[in-house]
Amino acid sequence: MRKTAWTTSTIVALLLIITTPAAQTQSDTPVRPNREAPGEFQFVRLAYSSNSYGRGGYGRRQMWQTDWPDADYHFSRGVDRLTRVSVAEQGRILTPLDEEIFDYPWIYAVEVGHWSLNEQEAERMRAYLLRGGFLMVDDFHGTYEWAAFVASMERVFPDRPIIEIPESDAALHVVYDLDNRIQIPSRMFLYSGTTYEKDGYTPHWRGIYDDDGRLMVAINFNMDIGDAWEHADWPDYPENMTALAYRFGINYLIYAMTH
Amino acid sequence: MFESLFKYSREDYARGEIVFINDWPEWLLYALVVVAVIAVAAGLYRRRSHASTFVLLSIGMLQLAMIAVVMFILLQPTLSSQVMRDGENSVALALDNSASMAHGLTESRFVAARQNLNNAIQADTLQNLSLRHYELGDSAELVDSFLSSIPTENATSMAGGLLRILDEARFSPLAAVVLASDGADTNGGLSADELAEIAAFGVPIHTIGVGREAMPEDIELSNVTVPDNSLPGSTVSARVTIRHDQAANARIKVYDGDNLVQLMPIELSADSTVTTAWVDVALNEAGPHQLGFSVESDAVEPESRNNERATLINVANEDYRILYYEGEPRWEYKFLRRSIAHDDDLNVATLLRVSPNKFYRQGIDDALQLQDGFPQSRDELFTYDALIIGSVEAASLTTEQQEIIRDFVSNRGGSLLMLAGPNGLGNGGWGQSALASVLPTSLPATTIDSFHRLKSTVSLTAQGADNQILRFASDSDENRDAWRELPQVADYQLTGSLKPAAVTLLNAETDAGQTPLLVTQAFGRGHAFILATGGTWRWQMSLPVEDQKHETFWRQLLRALVASAPENVSLAANPGKDDISIELRAEFRDAAFRPVNDVGVTTIASHESGESISILMRPDEAEPGVFLGQLTPPQSGTWYFEAVAESEGEPVAVARASILHATGQAEHFGFRRNSGLLQRLALATGGQYFADGDLSELPDLLRYSSSGITETEHKSIWDSPAFYLLLLLLKSSEWMLRRRWSSI
Repeated sequence: MRKTAWTTSTIVALLLIITTPAAQTQSDTPVRPNREAPGEFQFVRLAYSSNSYGRGGYGRRQMWQTDWPDADYHFSRGVDRLTRVSVAEQGRILTPLDEEIFDYPWIYAVEVGHWSLNEQEAERMRAYLLRGGFLMVDDFHGTYEWAAFVASMERVFPDRPIIEIPESDAALHVVYDLDNRIQIPSRMFLYSGTTYEKDGYTPHWRGIYDDDGRLMVAINFNMDIGDAWEHADWPDYPENMTALAYRFGINYLIYAMTH
Repeated sequence: MFESLFKYSREDYARGEIVFINDWPEWLLYALVVVAVIAVAAGLYRRRSHASTFVLLSIGMLQLAMIAVVMFILLQPTLSSQVMRDGENSVALALDNSASMAHGLTESRFVAARQNLNNAIQADTLQNLSLRHYELGDSAELVDSFLSSIPTENATSMAGGLLRILDEARFSPLAAVVLASDGADTNGGLSADELAEIAAFGVPIHTIGVGREAMPEDIELSNVTVPDNSLPGSTVSARVTIRHDQAANARIKVYDGDNLVQLMPIELSADSTVTTAWVDVALNEAGPHQLGFSVESDAVEPESRNNERATLINVANEDYRILYYEGEPRWEYKFLRRSIAHDDDLNVATLLRVSPNKFYRQGIDDALQLQDGFPQSRDELFTYDALIIGSVEAASLTTEQQEIIRDFVSNRGGSLLMLAGPNGLGNGGWGQSALASVLPTSLPATTIDSFHRLKSTVSLTAQGADNQILRFASDSDENRDAWRELPQVADYQLTGSLKPAAVTLLNAETDAGQTPLLVTQAFGRGHAFILATGGTWRWQMSLPVEDQKHETFWRQLLRALVASAPENVSLAANPGKDDISIELRAEFRDAAFRPVNDVGVTTIASHESGESISILMRPDEAEPGVFLGQLTPPQSGTWYFEAVAESEGEPVAVARASILHATGQAEHFGFRRNSGLLQRLALATGGQYFADGDLSELPDLLRYSSSGITETEHKSIWDSPAFYLLLLLLKSSEWMLRRRWSSI
């Protein structure tokens, strides 16, 4: 009986690994037929490699899947409603090594305090960003996760500093003037009463810029914009937080489409 | 043989007609025929018992034929033709006296031509024609005789020279013109109008071609084409055409002033006599650049002056303004802006509709620019040199704004680029807008969704391969390879049918077949382009970051848009058709590009040596705001022009131009014998073309010319030996038959 349970668990785990996008390598990706793209903008979630803590396990989602798919769907609908951008209804999930990543110049990564990009993935992300791609990272908190994020980011850009986005930067004004910024918490704040997690008391809107002063990576540290998107339809989650989260996302997207 | 049998040549018979001098009454002719037939029939009837019917009929036919020949002779046939009346006509002998006639292997073309003309007039039949000698260069000069040993003119104008000869003979009988030339016209050749004007005189022109059509020992830099203007930091693609008559390995060199800026090897194939190459020249500094082009091979050439050409290109130090109106945020917008971010000469102001109620402006000079949205007046829109309209519906602009855009292209001379998009081109209703006539295609109706987010491969058309906008490499094959290897564009849009003047530069290879991707046409003073995709951004995202094709494409396309847009005040200096003069054309318009006529215009021409000449410009009656002038420069070199428009004694506008002038250089180019031109000239005027020195038919052509004062000449042919030989033959045949059959 015990042996049967172990075998079943192993098979299920293997199936899960095989079917998750993170397991698809570049060489395994079949050639897609030339199908009509569903819109100019399609929400793409980065399925990155994780460190041991973030890999999840049987019965647990991986860190990059956090808030998926509701956050992706809600945000896409918000963009469609509030802007002139032609938006695909459903999002996509791509790994850094997926060739198709270059067809989507805006990409979202969550819980990046647990990512662990290898050299090949870092090189791919560097090419993606320098060619004109835009990366929004979100939902990581405190000293430890910051260090983990930076460790991988430094593989992508060893010599580019991470700085606070200046108040005057177009990313904070392109559609909405985001002068009054507050920490956007996860849903857990409804139970804990605190908007921060771990030792991430102060929210930071940071970024990495290219040689022409254009924001390439929008780093939302000590906040959880994805959760605000995900729970946009949840009555208990504060509407003002969701609205602000939408505004940040839309600003980043429009900035990416204009700079 | 013919002449010994019939007394005169075939040409005599071809030129004349046979008439009968013996004026017998018609009844007598019929009566004689009847009598002859009866007499023959009676004679044979009497002998019917001695021979068969076949024999009798044969003998009878021979006798009748003999009687017919006798009657023909008795009618006294005569050859009647029109000939020059002695002593009353002239023939103009024209000798090409231009510098190209100095070429030749053993003897010069000039000497050969002079010899040909002298030989042609030695015939006895021409002794009563008076001769007029002309030396032909950029015009024609009457001379006493051909005494010069070397050609002296530095230009050739066939039309100018021949019209002068014909005009001078307008009131005197001119039988023909005989022109000896290599056909190397430096005045642009003979146009159809010029040919018709020459032919209208009704004087046959016989042409004698001298020189060789193929000169394997010579390589010629036939032509170099560069744009008149460029922008600092641009790479100009010069189109270099080389004429050669055999295979060779050569090198093209380009000098910017004294500096060698390009050296390109080129293989000249034996399969073609003309090889074209594109040579890229980077022009970084503003101001006039004197570009020298040369082609060199290892062989020693008899004429090296045709291996070099020089031209002047003005690199304008101006800020060009482009307005980009976009209806929705999209990747093409972002990557277009990025592609020209480092181009300091292109100022792209963008007006992007981010949300239904919000426009986002970028690249603006100040907070006021475009604050009220898309320009609503001509004055505002006409400050831009080019306009890009993206994925936005036509209804977002008023009819008046659409009409202003149409005027922007047609009157202001601006360039319009329409991009594809879900709300662009046909989907946006532009096919039914006031701009429909401006566009190079008839866009599909709004009821058809012509925009497809399907990746498609881009291919160069033949015209596109030659277009400077689409050059990634100076070598044509490399350029084609570069385009072939480009990633697919993200989408495409159907453009509808092409208009007659449209030129397709790029095609999209789609699952449904080929469709135009980049199309252009001139409209009024400006140009309109359609780029039927919003997905060139894939080139940037799919290629390594070091790859510059996306940037190059947009940079070259946008620079082409603005470079062709004229200023409201302009001056153009171009070589005259005669290769001697410089044609000046000044255009003055106000800020709204309305023609300015109530000014006086004077142009000061200054040579690099300091010499200056004042030229009074005359208004062009055909085109308001345009003033024309001409200068015949006294010396070669760079000439600088400054046209000043004055109103009430005060200067109101100034336009400048410059040109590199080299008088007489044209004679060193295109000097292979142009038989085609000489043949066309002869054919159009009823003359004949002679080549390779065989002029035996020329005297008769002159004597029987249809032009001049002629008279009718009768030549008796009744006494031609052929008729009497025929009589003898018929009688002998009868006699032989009688003996053979021995029965009658």
